[in-house]
Amino acid sequence: MIAADVGIGLRGLTKRYGSTVALNGLDLDIAPGEILGVAGPNGAGKSTLVRMIGGEESPTSGTLTLDGQPWSPTAQWNVVSIVHQEPQLFPNLTVAENVVAGRESGRAAWPKPSGGDLQIMDAMGLGPVRDSRLGECSLAMQQRTEIARAVARDARVFLFDEPNSALTDAESDELFREMRKLAESGRVVVLVTHRLGDLVKHCARVAVVRDGRVRAILSGDALTEDSLARQLVTEGAGGGSPASSGAASGADADAAPMFLARRWTGAAFHAIDFSARGGQIVALMGVEGSGARELLRSFAGLERASGDIAIRGAADLGRLRAYVPATRALSLYSNFSVGENLLVRLGVPDIAGRLLALRRNRMEALARESVRRFLIKTPTTAIPIRALSGGNQQKVAIAQALNCSPELLLLEEPTRGVDIHSKNEIYHLLRDYAASGKVVVIFCTEVLEIFEVADCAHVVAEGRLSRQLTIADYRHVEQLATDVAKLEQRLNAASAA
Amino acid sequence: MSSDVTQAPGESPTFSSLGRASLAIAARIGGLFAAVIVVAVIFLLINPHFANPNLAVSILRAMSSVAIMAIGLTLVIVVGEIDLSFGAMYGLAANSLAVMWVVHGIPVYLAIPLSLAVAAVVGLFNGFLVTSLKIPSFIVTLGSYNLLYGLSLWVSNSGTFNPNYPPSGKDLPQGQLDFFIGLTQSFGKYQLSVEVFWMLGVAIVVGFLLHRSLFGFRLMAIGGNPEAAKLARLPVKRYKITAFILCSVLAAIAGILDFSFIQTSQPDIGLSQTFPVFAAVIIGGASLSGGKGTIIGTLGGALLLAELQIGLALLSPGPHVQQIFLGAVTIIAVALDLLLTNLRKSRA
Repeated sequence: MIAADVGIGLRGLTKRYGSTVALNGLDLDIAPGEILGVAGPNGAGKSTLVRMIGGEESPTSGTLTLDGQPWSPTAQWNVVSIVHQEPQLFPNLTVAENVVAGRESGRAAWPKPSGGDLQIMDAMGLGPVRDSRLGECSLAMQQRTEIARAVARDARVFLFDEPNSALTDAESDELFREMRKLAESGRVVVLVTHRLGDLVKHCARVAVVRDGRVRAILSGDALTEDSLARQLVTEGAGGGSPASSGAASGADADAAPMFLARRWTGAAFHAIDFSARGGQIVALMGVEGSGARELLRSFAGLERASGDIAIRGAADLGRLRAYVPATRALSLYSNFSVGENLLVRLGVPDIAGRLLALRRNRMEALARESVRRFLIKTPTTAIPIRALSGGNQQKVAIAQALNCSPELLLLEEPTRGVDIHSKNEIYHLLRDYAASGKVVVIFCTEVLEIFEVADCAHVVAEGRLSRQLTIADYRHVEQLATDVAKLEQRLNAASAA
Repeated sequence: MSSDVTQAPGESPTFSSLGRASLAIAARIGGLFAAVIVVAVIFLLINPHFANPNLAVSILRAMSSVAIMAIGLTLVIVVGEIDLSFGAMYGLAANSLAVMWVVHGIPVYLAIPLSLAVAAVVGLFNGFLVTSLKIPSFIVTLGSYNLLYGLSLWVSNSGTFNPNYPPSGKDLPQGQLDFFIGLTQSFGKYQLSVEVFWMLGVAIVVGFLLHRSLFGFRLMAIGGNPEAAKLARLPVKRYKITAFILCSVLAAIAGILDFSFIQTSQPDIGLSQTFPVFAAVIIGGASLSGGKGTIIGTLGGALLLAELQIGLALLSPGPHVQQIFLGAVTIIAVALDLLLTNLRKSRA
């Protein structure tokens, strides 16, 4: 293939991290003047792609071209600007100083914005806040500052990485207007987001990335939320049957709910009624900012919320529940061995006895048992946790919580950044645990994951909970994806009305 | 990548609850004690008269109070915090004991527990400000360093006290005086001070606490990943406060023991100990970012420093050499640490 002579051309882009393949021969052309959308499930390689174009990493193999010329973003980083969800700027400086920083003239005086900088800021509506400290500006203003900064240094390529997940609707509209202006001025604009609605509304073409490649490019009439949702999950789900088979029927349909929340209200969700029976895996599905994550964290006691909540009638959840954070960095202890990581949440009498003395023989036995039971691949329990692969580290993180034998297990994105084999083993562990009569609640952004592991699911949008979907009712993941998208739209519309 | 679980039923993984005292740490401590021996050999080569048991005994005595404070500081550093106030606490303990006992005649048996109680309150104060008001421990303890020194000046009225010569003119009861001096009495052929046994006792008790008890296990966990510990609902605040209290109380014990040995209290004693004690902990292998540190390493650090201090004092023309060595050894120890860590990582 011949690289496009304007815009960006990516050919056979491959990135390996050890044995993990993040990008696998990805081809993509991005023309100036359009907003190209990029969609894909978690771990599909989207963020690696962004980092690669942004020059934060170099590819293992493959080529990048800009206007037909070979191009190394690592060396020519000035050309690209990445606008993150969280602007990466200097909160202690003013807006104008942020725009100038990095392009100061050689003089020793405290730098001032040039005439051109002032024009750019005025054009973007930053005039009134020019001399405010950036840290005191709204998130939308901070993002705009980031864009202004890039425009001022003549960046040609703008990558928006989940830019509006924390913005209000009005602020999002403003942002998209800026993006269109950038595109119309002949710049390359890429939008990476989970929000299918935004992709359909604002992008001419949307590339679906899966397993490190571009699997489809949707445009025109083919570009709808349904078709996107279907594209996102197609792979590997065809033959898969819903996981629920055993567990759902195992739970007594008439049994009283084991975990209950009534009129449960927090900052990000309102009057939620939620219940789950022992033996069930319940998924909470929602994009960032929908309130789904916050709801799960409130069950874990990590977000303030009011209302009634109980496990088997007990209102004090205490150690009846255990929580597994979304990233391993928040559950693993790098100074500890594998065994110590497995046991770190336990106390008297499990691992310590009189005078708090550690029961070392028992610790050894427990650690070995966990390694076997949770299928952790490690030569010994004494090696540092860092020596394990990502998938096995994730198993340790989950096992750490399971070792507390909670009645209610809460997990955020339990298989994020995990290889397919470990993924299946983790699903297996969760199903086994639920089958022992416990409740497992997961927060999740992937329909495929819900299809494979959950018994039922709720969609969360705008802080509201949808009706319950029973996964066993779906034969194909595409149908589930369509329903999830519909429920999401309905909740969004209801809250807009 | 084959991720088959290849755990044959027969080969069960070995587990060591001393996992953190794994090979790397054992090597680190081994290296430290090797340095102690190398330094001793160098001194002996320079001056063969140093081959004298009395000298070894005085090194042990000299390291005792530094080591006791350093052991307390190790706990705070392991949990990921900093305490700058222990040197001032050492001084306040000695001065408040002197004032209560020597000036006001409160029996020493009561005055010592009272001094220790003051130390516990100081630790609670530090810990509370750090955990509940979320003030960085560097700032809290920098403040309490000055605060405690101010209190020492105040209670002592900037005076110097010696229990053998009470200011009232009345002698203190001989029994109390004997008891107090007995705390650090030297005995035997080589005049070994009891203070050395206090140090060993503290090391054994705190060593058990840090390396063999649930308390230490969780202290290491909290220091290694405080955010994870919070999410896992470990008692982070309580443990941090306890570490601060233990650090303060151990500093007070060191202050009281040194007061007993020197038999003179001054308002500013202890302040100059702050940085040597830090150096001992760092040379001992503890990491200021938390989650790492051993009692045996800290003892080794204190021993190496005392050895250098006394050896150089006997050899050198002035005190500047000791200071320069203290600085150099601290930096070299940490530089070697980083170098070895990078080597291990690049090979792994």
